[in-house]
Amino acid sequence: MTDAARTKISVCPAAELGPGERRLVELDGRKIGVFNCDGTLYAIEDRCSHDDGPLAEGEFDPANCTVECPRHGSLFDLTTGRPKTLPAFKPVQTFPVAVEGDAITLEVS
Amino acid sequence: MATPEVLAEKRELAGINADYKEKFGFNDPETGYAYKAPKGLSREVVETISDFKQEPQWMRDFRLKALEHFEQRPTPQWGGDLDQIDFEDIHYFVRASEKNSRDWSEVPEDIKYTFDRLGIPEAERKFLSGVGAQYESEVVYHQVNEKLEAQGVIFTDMDTALREHEDLVREHWATVIPPNDNKLAALNSAVWSGGSFVYVPAGVKVEMPLQAYFRINTENMGQFERTLIITEEGADVHYIEGCTAPVYSTDSLHSAVVEIVAKPSSRVRYTTVQNWSQNVYNLVTKRAVAHEKATMEWVDCNLGSKLTMKYPSIYLLGPEAHGEILSIAFAGDGQHQDAGGKIIHGAPRTSSSIFSKSISKDGGRATYRGLLEVADGATESRSKVVCDALLLDEDSRSDTYPTIRIDENDADVGHEATVSKIGDEQLFYLQAHGLDEEEASKMIVNGFIEPVTKELPMEYAVELNRLIELQMEGSIG
Repeated sequence: MTDAARTKISVCPAAELGPGERRLVELDGRKIGVFNCDGTLYAIEDRCSHDDGPLAEGEFDPANCTVECPRHGSLFDLTTGRPKTLPAFKPVQTFPVAVEGDAITLEVS
Repeated sequence: MATPEVLAEKRELAGINADYKEKFGFNDPETGYAYKAPKGLSREVVETISDFKQEPQWMRDFRLKALEHFEQRPTPQWGGDLDQIDFEDIHYFVRASEKNSRDWSEVPEDIKYTFDRLGIPEAERKFLSGVGAQYESEVVYHQVNEKLEAQGVIFTDMDTALREHEDLVREHWATVIPPNDNKLAALNSAVWSGGSFVYVPAGVKVEMPLQAYFRINTENMGQFERTLIITEEGADVHYIEGCTAPVYSTDSLHSAVVEIVAKPSSRVRYTTVQNWSQNVYNLVTKRAVAHEKATMEWVDCNLGSKLTMKYPSIYLLGPEAHGEILSIAFAGDGQHQDAGGKIIHGAPRTSSSIFSKSISKDGGRATYRGLLEVADGATESRSKVVCDALLLDEDSRSDTYPTIRIDENDADVGHEATVSKIGDEQLFYLQAHGLDEEEASKMIVNGFIEPVTKELPMEYAVELNRLIELQMEGSIG
């Protein structure tokens, strides 16, 4: 993937996404969840790899940096996108996320 | 008009249940019970169970969260009719005995008598490596061969495992079936009690089977055992479970969760001979994960219950993992067996087979419901699904719902399905060789299920054949 294929988008001011908080952003119909796990930011696609249902609004555990699929309970590691429990077994896509100046930015390929 | 023959047949048909009642369907007095929760499900009931078991906080939290999932999820509207279950008319926890004993002589008399009648201690002496006996909500007797124990094999009830091997349990707990996988798994997660914990260390092969026997005694009972089996690299184990219950006019509920983790190059075979009485709803979630070069086999025989909904599944997540499901369902008068299996190929060069055999008679309904999935990237995977249904009369019903999902071009998948009825020609041919009509029908049915029975240890194959013959008696019309 070349840099030219990446799109950088602004999520929100850094101050608006404190530890334990999350934000859902949408770009060209794609939904991405941005999570603040006790100070470190992670972003994953909002789609469970088990049955394509929404994922990012599931129960968020900032201490363990996981999100639980609200439909069938698969627990995803936000740092890698990999499921820690079945029924999902394939990872979901992750995205680089950073704080630039006062803003949180997300790179989408 | 009812002829004398028809009337005689009706008398024989009526005899089937009477035989179950005598052999398995008897009930014991509930004298000496330590605790019986009032009917109904609530946060208090869940907390009471957790208090009784003096559980760690994480398990208590797990139960309470699962209860919320159960309350939030709608009752499934597919499969069998679950709307008739009154979840408030069930005892969720019944403690028959204060302790779980390793000494048969210490088991309370009534319970001991029950398991004696069911042949459990005799089976242990003859051909088992270990046995567990669950009565109502908890295991009352557990024993494992000392040599296996010395090799590090753990075979104990789930409550004891949580106390004595908490780290091992917690590492694997609900990783295969999370609490909100489905409504019934959530219910089990909230009120689970009993079940087996099996751990086989790397390289240890358990030569003779481990067995658990589950018995419901009280009326309007809910039994929610939880089983977890872990085999380390190169280990091998065969686990067998059986179950029966008294015949009552009101319904009971059995809803188990069984999780299996077969690590690389290990093998697990899990055999079930389900023979609940016909007032039991049997709604079970069973799932296994097979890692690289591991083999997982489900042998699932469903004879009893009012309604069974059970689809043992295997996730083949390591290269060259192998899965097999052999399913047999027998649906008689008033029964609906909604069974089958699921296999998911999630890694390259994985292989699997599902063989399902169902027999319906006297208006019974047998359903095969299965899933075969080959995920993108599971290259060179192979699978074969065969489901055969045999109808013994015009009133019975068979349905097949096979789902096949292939996201990988480089895979080889086959599916065959047949539905047949015992034909006059087959019967005539066998009768011409000197068999009467009933014997001829039994022979056809035995031949039909032979691919399954030949996979069972001999003692269980004999038992299964005997049970089916029992169900077949008087079924010729």
